[in-house]
Amino acid sequence: MSAMSRLFSALYLHIPFCVKRCAYCDFATEAVPRGSERIDDFVERMVISIRRAAKAGLLSGLETIYIGGGTPTHIGLSKLSEILYILSLSKDIDASMEVTMEANPESLTEQIVKDARALGVNRLSIGVQSLDDGVLETLGRAHGSKRAIEAIQLATSCLDNVSADVICGVMGQSDESLVSTIEQLVGLGVTHVSVYPLTIEEGTPLCAIIEAGQLPEVDEDAQARHMELAAKTLQAHGFTRYEVASYALPGRESRHNSAYWTGKPYLGLGYGAASMLDSYDLGALLESGALDCWAESIDFEGLQERAAGSHRTRISLARGGLEAEFLSERESACEDAMLGLRMSRGLPESALSRLTDACPELAAAIDEALTKGLAQLNGDGSVSPTAKGWLLGNELYGLVWDCAR
Amino acid sequence: MDPRFIRNFSIIAHIDHGKSTLADRILQTTGTIEERDMVEQVLDSMDIERERGITIKSQAVRILYDAADGNTYHLNLIDTPGHVDFAYEVSRSLAACEGAVLVVDSTQGVQAQTVANASMAMNANLEIIPLLNKIDLPASQPDHVREEIEEGLAIPADEAILASAKTGEGIDDLLEAIVNKIPAPVGDASAPLKGLIFDSYFDAYRGVVALVRIVDGSISKGQEAACMATGTKFLVEEVGVRRPANTPVDELGVGEVGYVITGLKDPSLVKVGDTITLARNGAAEPLPGYREVKPMVFAGFFPIEGDQYPELRDALDKLSLNDAALVYEPENSHALGFGFRVGFLGLLHMEVIKERLEREFDLDLIATAPSVEYKVYLTSGEVLTIHSPKDYPEQSKIEHIEEPYLIASILVPPDFVGAVMDLAQFHRAEISNMQYLSTTTVEMKYEIPLSELIMEFFDKLKSRTKGYASLDYDFLGYKPSELIKLDILLAGKPVDALSFIVHKDKAYARGNTLVRKLKEIIPQQLFEVPIQAAVGSRVLSRVNVKARRKDVLAKCYGGDISRKRKLLEKQKAGKKRMKAIGNVEIPQEAFMAILKVDE
Repeated sequence: MSAMSRLFSALYLHIPFCVKRCAYCDFATEAVPRGSERIDDFVERMVISIRRAAKAGLLSGLETIYIGGGTPTHIGLSKLSEILYILSLSKDIDASMEVTMEANPESLTEQIVKDARALGVNRLSIGVQSLDDGVLETLGRAHGSKRAIEAIQLATSCLDNVSADVICGVMGQSDESLVSTIEQLVGLGVTHVSVYPLTIEEGTPLCAIIEAGQLPEVDEDAQARHMELAAKTLQAHGFTRYEVASYALPGRESRHNSAYWTGKPYLGLGYGAASMLDSYDLGALLESGALDCWAESIDFEGLQERAAGSHRTRISLARGGLEAEFLSERESACEDAMLGLRMSRGLPESALSRLTDACPELAAAIDEALTKGLAQLNGDGSVSPTAKGWLLGNELYGLVWDCAR
Repeated sequence: MDPRFIRNFSIIAHIDHGKSTLADRILQTTGTIEERDMVEQVLDSMDIERERGITIKSQAVRILYDAADGNTYHLNLIDTPGHVDFAYEVSRSLAACEGAVLVVDSTQGVQAQTVANASMAMNANLEIIPLLNKIDLPASQPDHVREEIEEGLAIPADEAILASAKTGEGIDDLLEAIVNKIPAPVGDASAPLKGLIFDSYFDAYRGVVALVRIVDGSISKGQEAACMATGTKFLVEEVGVRRPANTPVDELGVGEVGYVITGLKDPSLVKVGDTITLARNGAAEPLPGYREVKPMVFAGFFPIEGDQYPELRDALDKLSLNDAALVYEPENSHALGFGFRVGFLGLLHMEVIKERLEREFDLDLIATAPSVEYKVYLTSGEVLTIHSPKDYPEQSKIEHIEEPYLIASILVPPDFVGAVMDLAQFHRAEISNMQYLSTTTVEMKYEIPLSELIMEFFDKLKSRTKGYASLDYDFLGYKPSELIKLDILLAGKPVDALSFIVHKDKAYARGNTLVRKLKEIIPQQLFEVPIQAAVGSRVLSRVNVKARRKDVLAKCYGGDISRKRKLLEKQKAGKKRMKAIGNVEIPQEAFMAILKVDE
């Protein structure tokens, strides 16, 4: 069996089940009752998949693990424990690793937190979204503010690294409501906050409600204001913005998410998960059999053939089958530039010279971003987003991604 | 061929009254076209003609018909364009005939183009055979329509043929009527050649092919012939008839209709309406009625991608080979770059050309709002003819301006007279006559500036009269008008391609609505974009497109990355369809927005 030249540093497990679908959600998840056979079947596949990956040595370089969804806590304590247990058998999980699990307030119990911690989870990311019941109702969340506060208290009492997701720019959400949510979260001891402006995805119930005129359209100005307000409020409490939507107390930045943004290879298992690796290493991944649990029949040779000559491979698992994309060195460089400019530290000078070697047009694109005030050149030679670059990110990322074609 | 056994006729009708279907049925009944070769609208060979159900190019087909009297006749069906944009071509085709079949939809009755075409046919002294079509439909009202024809058109209709082009009913009666009622052509076989060119087309292998009707004399292969108006001489390479495929014959004689292959490579040398004769011992006088075809409506065509300019030029060159009315000259716009100012016979002609350029030549074009040809009298005594707002001189140098007027004939049921009057008044039209053609149809005649008619007047007329009104028009002449040029400024800079010439009483209202319309069309940019309407340095109206404050998809983890990139690519594709003017991105429809400002 061939070994990987660059090992996966991050592992993502996607648990595609929720108690209900939220009104705004277009994620890879489905509402199934707890105890459903679909969950049993899924967990069985996940266990085999992890074992195969471990056996092939794909997990030996892991620095972070992230169990996301969906709602991992929705599948219940015993199923979660099964996955976590297999993980602990497959990889020596020590305190130096970051192991995150997502949870939603309605299904987070003390027992789960304690068991998860015992099996190596050292970070919880809770889908709070808001502590304003009106906003939660608009979003169609399964929990209220009271339950959310209890869940955070539970988490912070057991773990010293707890993140909360917050949505802003929701119709009917006032500035005060947003600030109050953030301040309560900080008061409850969370160490990391992600703030996303609400996006209306086609085909979601919320989209239909807006089209029917029962709710107003999203107000982009209000969203911009909220994003700035969130940044200001969190910064006043000692949080640092390290990515367009991510804020952390010192040392509490998500290492797992940072891997996505810095071009490190990652392995994703479960329907809805994606892997990224050097195309050179695709053979090792395919040979491991870890993906066979998720796709009916994988065209081994076809994929290898398409990967040949490419630089980077990304494989997305879905219920319909497996999707693969292959990026040239040039496209990979542009993708790295795009992702780098989502982060506060931006693109360090060394990265800039590496990326512009691979794609010389990037230099002009970055100049244009500087001229348009979307990015700034810092004293250490790095380029990072400006306040305008945060809000008009798509302009900035579009500029660099355009160079790929 | 003995002219006594020739009948030359054309079919005239209001649009959608069944002209092409009737032609199809005649060709089928007489076996001119084999069943297996039959396609709908045989004579309309262009895709656009078939799709839109209109005829753009004239056609001529020889039909052999064994009549009840035992003789075999040559019936030459000359199919004419069916739209007012092509009125001159229609008049020349009619001049090649002795008779016309006037098709009236028996469910709808007489419409504006029925009136216009019938009066053209009468002016050409044609024998008119009325035919009531679609009598198979339950809504058919033959008696009522007969009355309309007699009262409104003063054409006896008691012998009108009842027919259904769809089922074939009445076609035999029609063929007999053509033989019995339409006079045989009369001409002098020994006189010098005189042939009327009623259409021409360009064949890539054989050059310009003229469709002709011989009046006097005859023409045959090898003769040296001449076009009298243009003075062009050429050696006749071939003569023949169309059945409908080109079939060579030895000669074309008096009364015959056929084609002449000229071998000429320049289509502008052979003009519709010109007289063909022999280069030596030719006719002394040409046939009457020739005139130079002049475009009425002008618009700028610009490739969205500047590098498509040479392709646009080649495409226009190619289209103009078969369309003598299409004229164009290079135009340079600050906003849109290099393109062409293109002249058309009318709006339909313009739409057809734009569609063909995009479809057949795969070009992405921006068309600027259509304009007309103005005569600008300067204080210096000089007179400028301009057909682009770009060429509008400084206001202070202008003594006065004249604009083209049309005489428009609108037919409506009496209930809608008020609605038409309101619309006409809004468009600066003045009523010159109004009469009842029947109890159900009123004819209203208006003098209307052409510049108003091209402001989607017909669409508005249709919608305000629930589709009942029909419209026809004719050029009237130039009249003085108080016009000014209105400029549109984006981010403080005038955009030449958005300027337009407007009556001064309407400048404020149009400027005001247009900037509002543009505000809806122009997406938010990274900075605030003021949109202003101004006459000279005087700003009439201003709105701001607020700066886009937020455009970011905040979630971007492992699986989101490729989705995110696809979204960026989609945004970029959206931008590609826009034109960057300075640093403002403008969607294509902005350049046509002026047409929509009256809604």
